[in-house]
Amino acid sequence: MRGYLAFAKKEFVEFNRTYKLLVLFAVFLLLGMMNPLTAKLTPMLLEKFMPEGIKITLGEPTALDSWAQFYKNVPQMGLIVVALLFSGLMSQEYSKDTLINMLTKGLPRRTVILSKLTMAASMWTAAYGLCVAVSWGYTVYFWKADALINIPFAAFCLWIYGLLLIITLVLGSVFFANSYGSLLFTGGFVGLQFLVNIIPNIEKYNPISLAGRNLDLLNGVAAEKELFAPIIISLILCVALTLISILVFNKKRL
Amino acid sequence: MNALTITNLNKSFGTNKVLDGLSLSVEEGSIFGFIGQNGAGKTTTMKTVLGLLKADSGSVSVYGEQVRYGQTSTNRMIGYLPDVPAFYGYMRPLEYLSLCGEISGLSKGTIKAKSLELLEMVGLKDNNRKIVGFSRGMKQRLGIAQALLSEPKLLICDEPTSALDPSGRKEVLDILEGVKGKTTVIFSTHVLSDVERICDTVAVLHKGKIALSGSLAEIKSQHKQDVLNVEFDSGEAAKKLCELLHTKNVLCETSGGNVAIKSADIVHEEAEVLALLSAHKLLPIKFEIVEPTLETLFLEVTQ
Repeated sequence: MRGYLAFAKKEFVEFNRTYKLLVLFAVFLLLGMMNPLTAKLTPMLLEKFMPEGIKITLGEPTALDSWAQFYKNVPQMGLIVVALLFSGLMSQEYSKDTLINMLTKGLPRRTVILSKLTMAASMWTAAYGLCVAVSWGYTVYFWKADALINIPFAAFCLWIYGLLLIITLVLGSVFFANSYGSLLFTGGFVGLQFLVNIIPNIEKYNPISLAGRNLDLLNGVAAEKELFAPIIISLILCVALTLISILVFNKKRL
Repeated sequence: MNALTITNLNKSFGTNKVLDGLSLSVEEGSIFGFIGQNGAGKTTTMKTVLGLLKADSGSVSVYGEQVRYGQTSTNRMIGYLPDVPAFYGYMRPLEYLSLCGEISGLSKGTIKAKSLELLEMVGLKDNNRKIVGFSRGMKQRLGIAQALLSEPKLLICDEPTSALDPSGRKEVLDILEGVKGKTTVIFSTHVLSDVERICDTVAVLHKGKIALSGSLAEIKSQHKQDVLNVEFDSGEAAKKLCELLHTKNVLCETSGGNVAIKSADIVHEEAEVLALLSAHKLLPIKFEIVEPTLETLFLEVTQ
């Protein structure tokens, strides 16, 4: 337990001192502010810059437009930044041999994985939480009257998906000695989820729904229970991939 | 008791057989010099002892406890200094030692006291820079501090001096000599003078096997073939002495003004030479017995 706490502390210090913390929070804060503002300002901007004589009619932006921006930007830009920041979690240690001193002091190998996951999951949770809070705050401020359902649940779904992505990154990172390997592995994993959607009815169970159907939840197209299956499958995958990471790392030559 | 026992260890990387039935034992309390050419398999052996590499066959035990690959509890008795110790560059020395201490399960008080003591011993006490700005020698010294932090019974150092300048090398050797008695030290190197300075037992690794092992004095006496060197200011005198020695059936070689006489019973030859020198009024400028060095022995067994 002490080893776990000590190593997790080291991970947080590392994330901070290598400026990754700053980048992560800056990006998610920016995303949080950008979504409602884009929704609010786009119609005004279009109106201003349209050549004279041409007229387009745009409906008044709504809170749903703000969340539409959110669920377009966070799964794309947000998760890509997360992937880039966390892709070197293990490979950095491999390539620099920094784990040798730790492991030869009796630090269990599983602790290395679990500490790293703890740090990555808490950083993702905090940055994502900040992004949701800022986005939500501005949305309520601009569109007080618009009542939307399922806002916390829709946000929760994407959070789970982010968590799954981070665990995939760690597994990829255990396999490959450089961070490109880990990124490619995670990219492949996401690509596979898109690909299996071709099979009829699989979408109901596919974890990728957690990052794709959020807007449906907000406007009532999808019911909460429709996403229970992907949530459960994602959680099972999280546990399974963590176990595989530990097993593979236990046998890894250093 | 043996601090380390290796029995019939085999390890290949692909078709390259690095360890070929290696067996050795290291007695508790000694400083053990593990000598071998570059690529002889020293690091492979050490990493196997630490459970970082899986041996193809054979067994390793530390203080009687079997080493397992991957997760090995024997590591709690070992302090390891890798050939190029790698640290988290964004940390300061005290932070790093504190991390190591917490991982080793030491109490907060012990970590603090021990860290300060070790940093003073390795000369980094007043250095509170981030490790990223450290020189190679400073990293090596910090490496020794982290290896000794948990007061290990066995300290394994992989070529601790090979990349250091003369003063750095001397410092590291002094530190290792300083822990003698408290800790068993295994020290791999290809710098023979370092071994002669601090080790009491040695083993030479060659082609994956131990080619030579024992205490330094023992090895030297077993392979004793002393050389008597007589030096003259002219080549003529040297030639003359050699001719005279040939008549007495003593083997010798000349090169320039130097005569080298090799014999297992050098004392007898010495008297003979002195008598000849005196009788023929040959006056040497130098007269010395050269003992076999580890270097000559090393070259002998690795050729």
